[in-house]
Amino acid sequence: MANGVLNNKNFYYVVRTLVAVLILFSNYIFSIENREVYKTWFGDPDLQGIWTNATLTTLERPDHFKKLIVSEDEAKAAARRAASESYAYDNQLEVGEEIDNARDPGGYNTAWMDPGVELFKLNGEYRTSIVAFPKNGRIPWDRTKATKFFNQRRKNRSKRRDHPELRGVGERCVVGFGSSGGPPMMNVLYNNFYQIVQSPGYVMIMAEMVHDARVIRLKGEHLPKIMKPWLGDSIGHWEGNTLVVETTNFNPQHIFRGGLRHFFAITEEAKITERLTRISNDQILYRFFVEDFDMYSNVWAGEMPFRAVDDKIYEYACHEGNYAMANILAGAREEDRRK
Amino acid sequence: MIVKSRSECSLLRLKILFFLIVIITGTSLNSEDFLRGANGKPDLNGVWQVLNSANYNLEAHSASASMAMVEGPVVPIPHPSVVALGAVGSVPAGLSVVEGGEIPYQRWALKRRDENKKYWLDRDPEIKCYLPGVPRANYMHLPFQIFHSEKAIFFAYEYAGATRNIYLEDPGTAPMDSWMGQSWGYWEGDTFVIEVSGFNDQTWFDRSGNFHSDALKVTERYSLKNSHTMLYEATIQDDKVFTRPWKISMTLYKRIGRDSQLQQFKCVEFVEELLYGQWRAK
Repeated sequence: MANGVLNNKNFYYVVRTLVAVLILFSNYIFSIENREVYKTWFGDPDLQGIWTNATLTTLERPDHFKKLIVSEDEAKAAARRAASESYAYDNQLEVGEEIDNARDPGGYNTAWMDPGVELFKLNGEYRTSIVAFPKNGRIPWDRTKATKFFNQRRKNRSKRRDHPELRGVGERCVVGFGSSGGPPMMNVLYNNFYQIVQSPGYVMIMAEMVHDARVIRLKGEHLPKIMKPWLGDSIGHWEGNTLVVETTNFNPQHIFRGGLRHFFAITEEAKITERLTRISNDQILYRFFVEDFDMYSNVWAGEMPFRAVDDKIYEYACHEGNYAMANILAGAREEDRRK
Repeated sequence: MIVKSRSECSLLRLKILFFLIVIITGTSLNSEDFLRGANGKPDLNGVWQVLNSANYNLEAHSASASMAMVEGPVVPIPHPSVVALGAVGSVPAGLSVVEGGEIPYQRWALKRRDENKKYWLDRDPEIKCYLPGVPRANYMHLPFQIFHSEKAIFFAYEYAGATRNIYLEDPGTAPMDSWMGQSWGYWEGDTFVIEVSGFNDQTWFDRSGNFHSDALKVTERYSLKNSHTMLYEATIQDDKVFTRPWKISMTLYKRIGRDSQLQQFKCVEFVEELLYGQWRAK
């Protein structure tokens, strides 16, 4: 029986079927319906505007939350906790206290951060994780494959002062850190803004970091396998009022996706399906489904709202001001010289 | 029964042909040769690109072995750093795209331009994959895509993944300087005008050292001529560098079919060796 049901071929067939069902019936599974329809001048559902996915809700559910949905009181307590942590972070010294040179001075204070101030709400309910499947709110790592990847990464990290290619993609100013440009588009410590503009045949999503315009070709075909752009290759179509985006051809230098509050990995062979539905004048429901059996034991899926903001996105010229990369490497060589 | 001679038939055919030509020509002259899109305005959507060598030099220039030349025993020769590129590193000839032929520099600025050209390898921001600024972004060797909807007009450039959101309401003074500037666009009849300001002084106009200060203001005019071509004009104003405003103009061509797919040219990773290679561990 084990051979008949659990061999690799059957296993992946079953999983892929489950994924298809999950995606097909996601609106029902997640119990959220479109409430209104907004259209562009050429008749496509309208997702245009400036949006943010900043939220205190993290990708995976923290241990202190036991379930996906929490009460308003619990959500308010989480917001208060975050605010007091920010205050403590900004006021590490007592009045008159001298800086201890031996201590890590830390990075920028919270004036430079904008991670969100409350847990997000869907269907009027506060959520404790972006991951909605599996139900435990945790990413289903394949322990063997993930361990192999992270062991190699750890080995490379010991040399990250030696070569620019071993620094993070965010530090290199190639794309934003933590998968902010996506897919999946994740909220990070700051600059969680996106602009969507549509034209016949295209949906363009520009992520503030690093001014990355992802051009989604509607009814297009994927690039040849040999082409692996940063952020992958995205094609899309409309299912009713939902934009469905399928991304493959991921770049092998962009496997690790880490921010301060989350980390995951997307391998070259992954397929990510995103679903964007305008559920109100000021909200897009953003869902994503990750199929990556080179890293995970099962498919996993997340959802969160993108909220409309009446704000502007300014230029994020990262590479042009990347003095840190030269300084890190030059400093390391100076250390080497002194040894 | 009327029987016509062969010559009469030919004459009749000619008359019919002439009649059809008049109708067709008349129709095309009396109607627009481009699509209208959002809000009834000319549809700017598409992937556009120039077919000129303005990015090498806005002014008239002959073909040459390289942008980086040094004195040779007989005639100038390519700089040692680019010799290995051979013909691939050479420069195509081009007519001036500047109205009147030459850029009206102030005397000190002309000297700086010539110096920039001499030290091109060290100074051109394109070599370091920095954001190209405006108008240079529009006539580089790579295309750009315009997303034109009723709510927004957005430019995505293949080179360096540069982008421009064009504000459709006056955003006021730019709150800070930037590489691509702040763009405010509006329609004058069928011409889309963009006023660009708020630049820093770091970008160039081409590979020949033509430059500007942070006082730069660019007024661009985009006028569709037909479904596949667009007249692009840009007036450059910078009192710190030039003696008067000056203008460039050129044709933008719309890519079609499989060529109309914007590719990715994130050159940041391509220049890591140039910028940081000297500090690699041995």
